[in-house]
Amino acid sequence: MVRAGKEKEKESSVVKSEKLKMKKTKDLKPLETQLQDQDTPNISDSDSDSDSDSDYDVDFSEDDGSESEDYESLRDSETGRSDSSQDEGDVDTGDNDGLANDHSNEEQSESSDVHPGVEESDSSEDEVAPRNTIGDVPLEWYQDEKHIGYDITGKKIKKKEREDKLQSFLASADDSKNWRKINDEYNDEVVELRKEETKLIRRMLAGKAPHADFDPYAPYVDWFKWDDAKHPLSNAPEPKRRFIPSKWEHKKVVAYRRAIRKGLIKFDKPKEEPPVYLLWGDESNSTEKSGHLAYIPAPKPKLPGHEESYNPSSEYIPTQEEINSYQLMYEEDRPKFIPKSFTSMRNIPAYENAVKESFERCLDLYLCPRVRKKRINIDPESLKPKLPSRKDLRPYPTSCYLEYRGHTDAVLSVSVEPSGQWIASGSMDGTVRVWEVETGRCLRVWNVDEAVKCVAWNPVRELPILAAAVGPDVFILNTGLGNEEEQERIRELINVKTTTSPDDSDNTASIASWHQDDKHSGIRLRHFKSVSSVEWHRKGDYLSTVMPADILFKHHLAIVVHQISKKLTQRIPFKLHGLPVTSVFHPTRSIFFIATKKNVRVYELVKQKLIKKLETGLREVSSIAIHPAGDNVIVGSREGKLCWFDMDLSSQPYRTLKCHPKDITSVAFHRSYPLFASCSDDCTAYVFHGTVYSDLNQNPLIVPLEILRGHKSSNGRGVMDCKFHPRQPWLFTAGADSVIKLYCH
Amino acid sequence: MAMDGDTEENSRRVQARFVTKLNPPFKVPATSIAIPSNLTRLGLSTIVNNLLQAENPDWEPLPFDFLIDGELVRMSLEKFLLAKGISAEKILEIEYIKAVVPRKEEEPSIHDDWVSAVDGSSPGFVLTGCYDGLGRVWKAAGECTHILEGHSGAITSASIINPEGEEYVTVATASKDQTVRLWKFSTEEPVNSRLKIRPFKILRGHKASVQSVSAQTSGDMVCSGGWDCTISLWQTNEINTEGDLVPIKKKKTNYQAGESQLEGEAVSTLVGHTQCVSSVKWPQRDTIYSASWDHSIRRWDVETGKNLLDIFCGKSLNCLDLGGESSMLIVAGGSDPILRIWDPRKPGTSAPVFQFSSHTSWISACKWHDKSWFHLVSASYDGKVMLWDLRTAWPLAVIDSHKDKVLCADWWKGGSIVSGGVDSKLRISSGISI
Repeated sequence: MVRAGKEKEKESSVVKSEKLKMKKTKDLKPLETQLQDQDTPNISDSDSDSDSDSDYDVDFSEDDGSESEDYESLRDSETGRSDSSQDEGDVDTGDNDGLANDHSNEEQSESSDVHPGVEESDSSEDEVAPRNTIGDVPLEWYQDEKHIGYDITGKKIKKKEREDKLQSFLASADDSKNWRKINDEYNDEVVELRKEETKLIRRMLAGKAPHADFDPYAPYVDWFKWDDAKHPLSNAPEPKRRFIPSKWEHKKVVAYRRAIRKGLIKFDKPKEEPPVYLLWGDESNSTEKSGHLAYIPAPKPKLPGHEESYNPSSEYIPTQEEINSYQLMYEEDRPKFIPKSFTSMRNIPAYENAVKESFERCLDLYLCPRVRKKRINIDPESLKPKLPSRKDLRPYPTSCYLEYRGHTDAVLSVSVEPSGQWIASGSMDGTVRVWEVETGRCLRVWNVDEAVKCVAWNPVRELPILAAAVGPDVFILNTGLGNEEEQERIRELINVKTTTSPDDSDNTASIASWHQDDKHSGIRLRHFKSVSSVEWHRKGDYLSTVMPADILFKHHLAIVVHQISKKLTQRIPFKLHGLPVTSVFHPTRSIFFIATKKNVRVYELVKQKLIKKLETGLREVSSIAIHPAGDNVIVGSREGKLCWFDMDLSSQPYRTLKCHPKDITSVAFHRSYPLFASCSDDCTAYVFHGTVYSDLNQNPLIVPLEILRGHKSSNGRGVMDCKFHPRQPWLFTAGADSVIKLYCH
Repeated sequence: MAMDGDTEENSRRVQARFVTKLNPPFKVPATSIAIPSNLTRLGLSTIVNNLLQAENPDWEPLPFDFLIDGELVRMSLEKFLLAKGISAEKILEIEYIKAVVPRKEEEPSIHDDWVSAVDGSSPGFVLTGCYDGLGRVWKAAGECTHILEGHSGAITSASIINPEGEEYVTVATASKDQTVRLWKFSTEEPVNSRLKIRPFKILRGHKASVQSVSAQTSGDMVCSGGWDCTISLWQTNEINTEGDLVPIKKKKTNYQAGESQLEGEAVSTLVGHTQCVSSVKWPQRDTIYSASWDHSIRRWDVETGKNLLDIFCGKSLNCLDLGGESSMLIVAGGSDPILRIWDPRKPGTSAPVFQFSSHTSWISACKWHDKSWFHLVSASYDGKVMLWDLRTAWPLAVIDSHKDKVLCADWWKGGSIVSGGVDSKLRISSGISI
């Protein structure tokens, strides 16, 4: 009963072991690694898939011989097969060591004829079942039995007669094939390994694939076409892990973060401190290095030189006279250190000023102004406006070649004849002169016995007459130029038949009286007050005179307009504001400009109303000039400022040029060239380029061009008047030094 | 070799040979001699004079001027060679000419007012115009023979119409009284006192001062330019060509009596200048050159009245003359101290070919020598008259005898310069050998 139970147990265990084996074969490791796992007991590879390996069970039972022998105790299931291998086995020597070497040769030679035989046996071996059916049970269970197990029909398989050791040894000694014989204890028989099987084993021991024709490194054939696949490989939905942030990663990040916070991980490389630095170098630019905003390096003391040496060369040592001369110097100039020579370092006494000097040094450091001046580093050149080069703006007056000499006192006014052949000048010496521009010849002199404040040529070329303001009179003078017909006309024009005198009853009609002046063959227009400026209308018939403003004076009569042809005088039809200085007619339209001390008022003559008021912002206006196009006005002031008004822009000055240190006495525009000039009591005249563009969007371009010098100061007055030549880029300047100069290009 | 060593010690020497185009008494032997290279014009002149003296014992030293490769030597020989890059190794050929310097300053001829115009184209006399409105004829320095009386304004320009006249000489004067007047007088008859002459023809038509008058080479016509920006052309003949058509107001009887005068009208007017025409010249039969204050020099075709050439200068011009090589070079001076010379044959450029800038003020007059291609004279407001040679950039001679502005200058008799100015004197510098 007990026995039968045992049997049953055995059988069940056999079945189990078979199942185990099947399991093991499922996760089959590569053969070579399996063979290396030698420590694992009872590994028997019965691979159902592979053909040849299925029948080789390796048994590591200890009862029979050493491990190395067991290694080779492979048993052949079919004894009959071994014949073919036995024939060749004779050739082999029974040396284990030589096996690997020899085999490689045989492998190549015999592989062709051996393999078909192997394949035959493989196919037949599948059907041959092991004789014993006990399964995978420990063999010692049958140790004491007469049988080793049961065959497939259930009959007991009898144990073979055991040869005694001596006999078996002798047999093995005789038998040359003994080394390939393995005792299969499970089936209780001796298996002789065939040649192919030894080869297989050798290959496995060498760690190769058991079959020679198996290529472990066969090129991978990628049968799947990866490109142009329209549909995903799998229809499976996107797994969740793809879009859930990884918790593990999160943990890792947290760990890193913690490490960074603790300072365990540092990103920037530690700054390399230079191993040496310039001890006495200039530290002024080292503020960036220090990192402090207000770092000011302490002033460095002077470096010691040769003379500070304890034993300087004799040329450094001052002589006694020099030392004495130091005493005569000021304390500050005296040298702080007088070089002395000592024979050795030991003889050097203590420095007597050490305490004092270190105290002073501390004071220096302490009192050093620790305030950094913020200075913006801007190139001053870049702040200058970009102006065209003066060379490109030529021609303009530059140099004086001609002088008109003859006056004996300051020339107060100059006026150019419209064709540019003659100029007229009025002077303090009481003369009006006409000059030839080309040669500087004085053509004519009128002696009027009083300072001539202003002269003006009639702008009509055919009427060469002059208006000169002399005291309370305005003279209309015939220059005598022109041909006889013109002279005839002029004589007729300036002939006053009936002398009119100011009439108190009718204020408006006769503000000034018209007299024939025989001495100068002209008209004398007597005003009730001294006239400062005379200005012709462009048509040459009207003449405006300005009597300088006076608060006490009835200043609505300060500006009057005379008509030469009718010998009429009328006051201007506007109410005057402020104290008028000068007045100008518009060069093309019926517009009248009146410059008062602060402002410039622009009146429309036809409509008789104020159309614009230009606010100069100056203290005292002295002169005004209108651009020939009529839309721009320059105003000179007594404080040396020049204002350019663009009447299209605003009533404020477009530009204010501060150029003269003294009063501007006159300003002038050129009739055809884009030039304007100002002259001043500082004996200079400035020439500017002033382009007015016909394009309304473009502001006028003003470029200072030239400072014209040459006049001498006289009684604190410099250049009294300047006028441009009407056709050449030339400037006439009338100086207080009684000279008129012509500056040519 | 030893010689070379010696010369190195003293100064460098160059081998030179003196050649000349002058006539035999001035010729030196054509052998090359070694001369020190630091010689200047004076040194070279001494050498040539010594050489001449060696041949001709009673030789009087003369100043010479020296040309190397067509350029006048105006510095030391060494510097000149360096500046021009001429090798000092080979024999240098130095041409010498008589130095062009006035050697005699004659007595000034005193006028009553500024001398504004002078014409020396006739070898027999000098015609001057004056600011007192009188024209004067001078036989020699200080020897006034005729006074041309009639202008009511200052004379600005005077021109001798037929210099090699037969019996009578015709002259034209332009004035600030807007007229041009023609005068005729005889130079043959011996004159004891100043003969007053009335104009035989008054040319009216300008509307402003006439600045310049110039006669055609044949003498048939004169042209004048003035402040009215036009150039007018006038007939000069005594009998009015349109006499049959236009009634003559007063028949001419005797011009010396001065009772009657012809009146002339402009034959044609050339319009184009925009400012004062300051100078006109009529060098060929059918071309007139004019300079104007509008900064241009123009050439006019007389027949068609068309403007053929424009040269823009940038400065207003006062004077103009034609001369030089095939009398085609234009010299002009104006409102700056630079005397400019243009070659109108040079295509594609209006830049001056020469510029002389030794003056310090406006140039009032410039004249080519009528025989020499190279010499010209210029007068300036700085009071100097300068003699120029195209072959050097420095003036050959500076005459500064005038006290004030010089207003006019001309050549006279080929070897003298006549000039007048603000000091009311006509100066004659003679003895110039060209």
